[in-house]
Amino acid sequence: MIELLQNLIDGLGRGSIYALLALGVAVVFGVMHLLNFAHGELITISGYAAYAAGQQGWSWYIIAPLIVVCAVVSSLVIERVAFSRVRGESDFTLLLTSFGVHFVVSAVFLLYVSASVKTYPRPGWVTNTYSLGPLNIEVFDTVVIVVTIITLIATTMLLQRTMFGLALRAASADFDTARLMGVKSDSVIRGAFALSGLLAGIAGVFWLMRSGSTTPSAGIDPMLKGVLAALIGGLGSLRGAVLGGFALGLAEVLLRSRLPDSIASLTEGVVFVLIALLFIFRPQGLITVAHAERV
Amino acid sequence: MKLKTLIALFAIFTLFAAACGDDDGDDASVDADDMVDESDDDNGGDGDDMDDEPHMDDGDMDDDGDDMADEPHMDDTVDIAGILAADLDDCADAPSGDPIRVGMAMDFSDVVGFVDIPGSNLVPFVADLANCAGGVNGRPVEVRVAEVGDDAALAAEELLDWGAHFLIGPPFADFALPILQTTEGRVPLFVAASTEPTLADASINSYLVTFDDHQMSSAAANWALDQGITRAILFTEGEGVPYTGVNPDAFAAAFIAGGGEVVSTQTYVWFEDTDFSAQVNEIAGISDNTEAVFSAALGYQVTALRGQLEGQGLDGLTYIGTDALDATGIQSEDNNEGIAHTPHTSISAGDPIDSLLAHYEAVNGEALESRGFMALYVDSMFLGIQGMLDCGCDEPARIGEAVQQISGFQGMSGEITYAGTNGIPPKAVPINRIVNGEDVLVDTRS
Repeated sequence: MIELLQNLIDGLGRGSIYALLALGVAVVFGVMHLLNFAHGELITISGYAAYAAGQQGWSWYIIAPLIVVCAVVSSLVIERVAFSRVRGESDFTLLLTSFGVHFVVSAVFLLYVSASVKTYPRPGWVTNTYSLGPLNIEVFDTVVIVVTIITLIATTMLLQRTMFGLALRAASADFDTARLMGVKSDSVIRGAFALSGLLAGIAGVFWLMRSGSTTPSAGIDPMLKGVLAALIGGLGSLRGAVLGGFALGLAEVLLRSRLPDSIASLTEGVVFVLIALLFIFRPQGLITVAHAERV
Repeated sequence: MKLKTLIALFAIFTLFAAACGDDDGDDASVDADDMVDESDDDNGGDGDDMDDEPHMDDGDMDDDGDDMADEPHMDDTVDIAGILAADLDDCADAPSGDPIRVGMAMDFSDVVGFVDIPGSNLVPFVADLANCAGGVNGRPVEVRVAEVGDDAALAAEELLDWGAHFLIGPPFADFALPILQTTEGRVPLFVAASTEPTLADASINSYLVTFDDHQMSSAAANWALDQGITRAILFTEGEGVPYTGVNPDAFAAAFIAGGGEVVSTQTYVWFEDTDFSAQVNEIAGISDNTEAVFSAALGYQVTALRGQLEGQGLDGLTYIGTDALDATGIQSEDNNEGIAHTPHTSISAGDPIDSLLAHYEAVNGEALESRGFMALYVDSMFLGIQGMLDCGCDEPARIGEAVQQISGFQGMSGEITYAGTNGIPPKAVPINRIVNGEDVLVDTRS
């Protein structure tokens, strides 16, 4: 029972990071119908920034905001350089463009930085724990969960209580009608990418703190988790993305812990089987999104 | 709705493929089909007539070479010291014989690029040194590097078409097997940085240059037993999985045979996992804080795992890893004190390989990113040339036969013998440990 509780906390910690990644994917999908496979590159780029800062001996008090800024700026640059060129093209074109961005970013780091793993010091408190009754809880998990909750509340307020949020939600519901109603498409799309970058940056801080390393393909795993969580939750649903992130994190931790040793190495595979089953019985994901298709 | 379903199906398919163990690093591979580095452009030829060229017979000063203005001294062994001593600013006369062609099929992605990229920089440099020293028996050494990219077979084909006398290939079966399928044993292949026993097969001219996974992890297990450790916790990707599973399997077999006990076997995802919460919770329930924790994980994974275990109060564990720790720079990791590992070369200041790496840095202005594996790449070239000297021939098949008989070759990574083996040289395994922040050799196991 104690181990189960411990696993639930660990799963929520991991799921929190996935939730932030998925929310970033969902925000962009909402306004552009772009399933952004380049989302993980925001963490790759930020990872190299963390590495460079670590080389200079900078504190994580500086590195953390640097990661967030890097992710936001990178997201805007990618939108400007790549996605703005194909805006209005078919969804398939957008999808391929996102793959292209992923490959280009990876190749740039591979060619001009290194193929080797680049490591940097993790903050000392990342593996500290505290006791809560019989539980040993990682400070890191606690911080991640708290920061994620704060971020989700702030994002909700941004979307529900600001003009930008209103425009974003309107564009997500029906982009063309929103434009007819005066919503500026450039602003809302760039805003969506900035918000997506911000969420990726916050997730990236924790992801990079935990890993203490980066490689040219470091973005693949966070991209997969983010996209997968968004799919589980229901593409286009912001609440679903968060739900999907937590579901994925919990599934990973619980399955790895609960599967018999003989098949424990199949944890990732079992997770994907469960997701496939979910899509068979509920192809729209956990939350159904009802809105008009873009024409 | 259709679009979303399609996208979801596409994503699931992609993710399934990833989950089934494909190399995600493929995604990051460079698109360039090949990268050519001719170490001696002046002597390039098409190589079509190589098979019938006169041979360099061992020690026979009167054979062939009548087209050479100055009869070179005919060595029967590769003069490694002479080559390494060459001064690129003061070279001997350029060699004018038929070139010795060294083909390198290398992976430049972040799967293996961390060793193949520096290796494919260093080997041409050593070829330049050899040419500067007058070549090998008056023959220049040419190196061509072909990037395997997404098609290792194509890279191998290109090198065969070029007339390579032998090949140096990348580690991991994903890359090396397509090359072997292409060469079909016609050309010797040295899988420079690999420890995979399945890649060695003398009957098809495929050779490791170092010890294999079994030797490496058995050595680590026996070292652990000698430290008085009797309990072990293993991290694996699954029984029999190349490298990440085979090494823990070999460790367990040797550890149990020596009287030890494996108290827990945990799974993880190589290259990716840095959050071991689920495994740590389980270990915390069974550990008595004296175990060896063994895995083939990468440096940043081992230190992440260690941090989480120490966070649970398990600070008495001994962490032991494979050559992956040297490959991923365990020496520069935080929280690395006491971690033991099995590098391929334990480099000390002033060693020939240390001097060579310093020479490379002085000439090229930057150091190579990998050090411990580099001797294996250079030795691969020297072994191939030694095979040519031994058979006095240019025919790759006969070179392979000669390589199979190599015995007691004094390479930069140690003594290498193929005679009587299936292509895996019985080399001693260095056991290094981080002591007071320094990576020091603490034992060597045969």
